[in-house]
Amino acid sequence: MSSGKTVKELMVDAFTFPHIPYWFTIKEAMWIIKKAFLEGEKCVRPMVVLVFDEKYNLVGTLTPRRVLRGLEPKFMKTSANIEGIAPDESLLSIIWDTLYYTESKNLSEYPVTEVMKPIQFFVEPDDPVTKASYIMIRNDLIVLPVLEKKKKLVGIITTLDIFTDLSNIVLNE
Amino acid sequence: MTNKVINRDSLQKLYLQLYEILKEKIESGEWTVGSQIPTEDELCRTYDVSKATVRLAVAELVKDGYLRRQQGKGTFVCKRIIPEGLSMLTSFKELMLEAGVEFTTKILAQTVMMPTDDLSIKLNVPGDRHIIYIKRLRMVDGDPILLQETYIPYNRCPHLLNEDLTAGSVLEIIEGRCGVKITRVQDYIGMVEVSDEEGGLIGLKDGVCALLLEQYFYSGDEQIKYTRSVKRPDRFRFFIKLERKV
Repeated sequence: MSSGKTVKELMVDAFTFPHIPYWFTIKEAMWIIKKAFLEGEKCVRPMVVLVFDEKYNLVGTLTPRRVLRGLEPKFMKTSANIEGIAPDESLLSIIWDTLYYTESKNLSEYPVTEVMKPIQFFVEPDDPVTKASYIMIRNDLIVLPVLEKKKKLVGIITTLDIFTDLSNIVLNE
Repeated sequence: MTNKVINRDSLQKLYLQLYEILKEKIESGEWTVGSQIPTEDELCRTYDVSKATVRLAVAELVKDGYLRRQQGKGTFVCKRIIPEGLSMLTSFKELMLEAGVEFTTKILAQTVMMPTDDLSIKLNVPGDRHIIYIKRLRMVDGDPILLQETYIPYNRCPHLLNEDLTAGSVLEIIEGRCGVKITRVQDYIGMVEVSDEEGGLIGLKDGVCALLLEQYFYSGDEQIKYTRSVKRPDRFRFFIKLERKV
C-alpha cells in the first residue's frame, strides 16, 4: 500500500474546505458552495463543506450531491428507496419545471443538518494511511476527519490524497 | 463621481450591489445632504434593474439612515449621525451602565463559518474567506441583558478559537495575542425588532424593540471585526465622553 505512511503525512489543512455552522440553511450552504468551489480562484477538490457545531466540533460533511438529494421532491425520495423500480420517465421529464422549481425553494430553507452526512468515522494523525483508506472505501466516504486525542480536528484526509500517493507508486513501477 | 455598474455575473444580490453603489454616492458627497435622489424609474433605467430591486436597495438605505422618504415628494439624502469624536467604546466593561456592576458571560458559539452575502459586505471580505463567529450572552446579576455576535476574519486572529472568552475581551486577544492594533471604531446605534430567538435569549417578547449597536473595527484601512449587539433597552445607559482639544 502506501509505503508505511501515516495519516499526518497525507492529510490536508481543514481550512482548505469551507466551514459552516449546523444552523445554516441549505440555501446558505448552496451560496457557500458556489462561492468556494465554482466562483473562487482556487480549485478545491473534493467539493466538501465541513459542518461544525457551536463549539467548533465537526459534526458532518456536505457535498453538492447531498444538497441535490435534499432538494429532491419528496415522492422521489420514497421511490428511490425501492430498489429496482425506476421512476416513470415521462413523469420525471415534467417534474423539473414544476415540482423541482417550486418544492426545492421551500426545501432549501431547511437546516443543513437535514442533508449533511454525519461524522461517524475518524482517524488519528499517527494511524496508517491504510486504515483511513479502508474506512473510506468500506463506508463510501470521500473525506475523513483527522482528530487528535479523539477530539481536536487537526486535518482532513481525502480519497484524492490517497489516490495521488498510490498512483505515484503504481505509475512509477 | 462614482460610475459603478451592476455586475450580473456576481453572486451578490442585485439589490445589495445597488445599495453599495447608492451608498457610495451619498458617502462621497456626490449626492449632497438634503438633495432629492433620482426617481425609481430613473434608477431602473440607469442601472438596468427592476423596480423591485430599486425598492429593496432604497428601503435598506432608509433603514440604515442614509435616506428618508417624504410622502408625495420623493426620497432625500439624510444627514447621518455619525458618532465622530466619541471616546472609543471598545469592550463590554466600558459599555456598562455603572462602574462596579458585575457581569457574567455565557459563550453560545465560538466556531468558524463562511460569510453569507450581507456579512461579506459588513465585514468587507470575499465570500470564500473563513470567519470566526462568536456569540455571547452577557448577564448582570443572572439576568441576560445583551446578546453579542462578533465576526473576525479567521486569518487575522486564529487564536480566538481556542481562547476562553468568558473572562477576557475579544479585543484584548486580537491586540495582545495577534498583534493587531485597532485604530478606528465606527459605531451605529439604533433600534431593532428582536427575533424569536434573540428575544428568548435576552428576555424580550418577539417583535419588541431592543437597542442595536453595530460596531466596525479597523486597523488602518483593513476591517478586522464586526460586532452586532442587541441589548435590552431597559438595562442600558450609554456613557459618551466628548473632548475638545484646546
